[in-house]
Amino acid sequence: MTLPRLALAAATLLGCVVSMGASAEMPDWSGQWENVGATPDASGGFNQSLEQVLTRMQWGPPNRPELQARVDKMVAGERKRLEAISRGEDPGGVDVKACTFGFPLVMLDSPLMFEILPTPKETTLIFSSREIRHVYTDGREHTPKDELWATPWGDSIGHWEGQTLVIDTIAVKSPFASSESEGVAVMAFGDVEGEQTITILSSQAHFVERIRMIDKDHLEDQMTVIDPNSLTEPWHVNRTYQRVAHIHRMVYEDCEGEERNPVVNGRFTLAPPPSATPKPATPPNGAPSSPSTPPK
Amino acid sequence: MSRVQNYALIAIAVLLTASPSLAHHSFAMFDQSKSVTLQGTVKDFRWTNPHVFVQLLVKTESGSEEEWSIEMTSPEHLARVGWKPGAMKPGDKVTLVIHPMRDGSAGGQFISGTGPDGPFAGSPATNGESK
Repeated sequence: MTLPRLALAAATLLGCVVSMGASAEMPDWSGQWENVGATPDASGGFNQSLEQVLTRMQWGPPNRPELQARVDKMVAGERKRLEAISRGEDPGGVDVKACTFGFPLVMLDSPLMFEILPTPKETTLIFSSREIRHVYTDGREHTPKDELWATPWGDSIGHWEGQTLVIDTIAVKSPFASSESEGVAVMAFGDVEGEQTITILSSQAHFVERIRMIDKDHLEDQMTVIDPNSLTEPWHVNRTYQRVAHIHRMVYEDCEGEERNPVVNGRFTLAPPPSATPKPATPPNGAPSSPSTPPK
Repeated sequence: MSRVQNYALIAIAVLLTASPSLAHHSFAMFDQSKSVTLQGTVKDFRWTNPHVFVQLLVKTESGSEEEWSIEMTSPEHLARVGWKPGAMKPGDKVTLVIHPMRDGSAGGQFISGTGPDGPFAGSPATNGESK
């Protein structure tokens, strides 16, 4: 074997060893996970009321005084909205046709299950809403500023410290905001449509997460939020995720589909089921399909 | 009090907040303070997004049948607590506990229930007045 071939073989072998070593170091986080405290009850609702979510889940961001005053005002408005909802009234709003939470909400208070797929160069978090977080662990830096724009899931890079995945995220834009200047709303959800603003982070917010398995059925995310525009000091907030008990595959949480909760005259209503089922495009015998009758 | 999240269609609260609201797919039309028990026959179990529905035929005092729409939550959420698409079948005799519609129409929000094979997934003891 010539020297170049030997070198190539050695490099290939080394690459295999490095790759195998890296794979061997990847933790097994397979399965489906759900946020403890945001899990469904028998009817699929939250186990926790809004008050329970506020008291039992860690929140308490060190909001700057001027932001806290704004948040207090927003919370007062939200309480009025909730009072209207409790009377069956629609307090109004603009619909966003998606089950989108965005980061960091998707980690802090989403009721949707998710998977984590660690590989040597990238770890992917996939939520049942089809929200996806890409965390690049190949040694790269954050995307250069002239190539970067804010998105609901931000720009994430990471590295492994043993079995702990350390994620660094910037460039987050709220999926609920029309512009970056509106900031990133962090909400607590619970009860029947219960919600409360916790903080509004700026577009300059910087997030560091440490995700690790604390036992065979639980993962932990230790999140630190650095945002001098909104916070007086770094905000440390932890979440625990448990294995989903009854389903062992991902399914799509589609927030559209058969819509039966129209607002009529300012009040929420319940519509009857569609009266007609669309005919299949191709009949079982393979004959040309006849024009289908649209649902009435 | 039963609690149901409904983030399904997240709305923007445009009141200077840029915050998400959970209002659109609301369960506010159901009276959370009341529970009613229905006994009837399943006409259809609609395993649909965003929410699953039971179409239930309930006999009225006059002997006729009235169709009720019982709203549950999403297939994803129900599957996580043990529900399956075939949990109810047309013709099944079931007892369902619901939060009724505020306007008195034939609809409600599922709380718990019992079918031919016993209690449905995660269902606690039933309560409320019989319909």
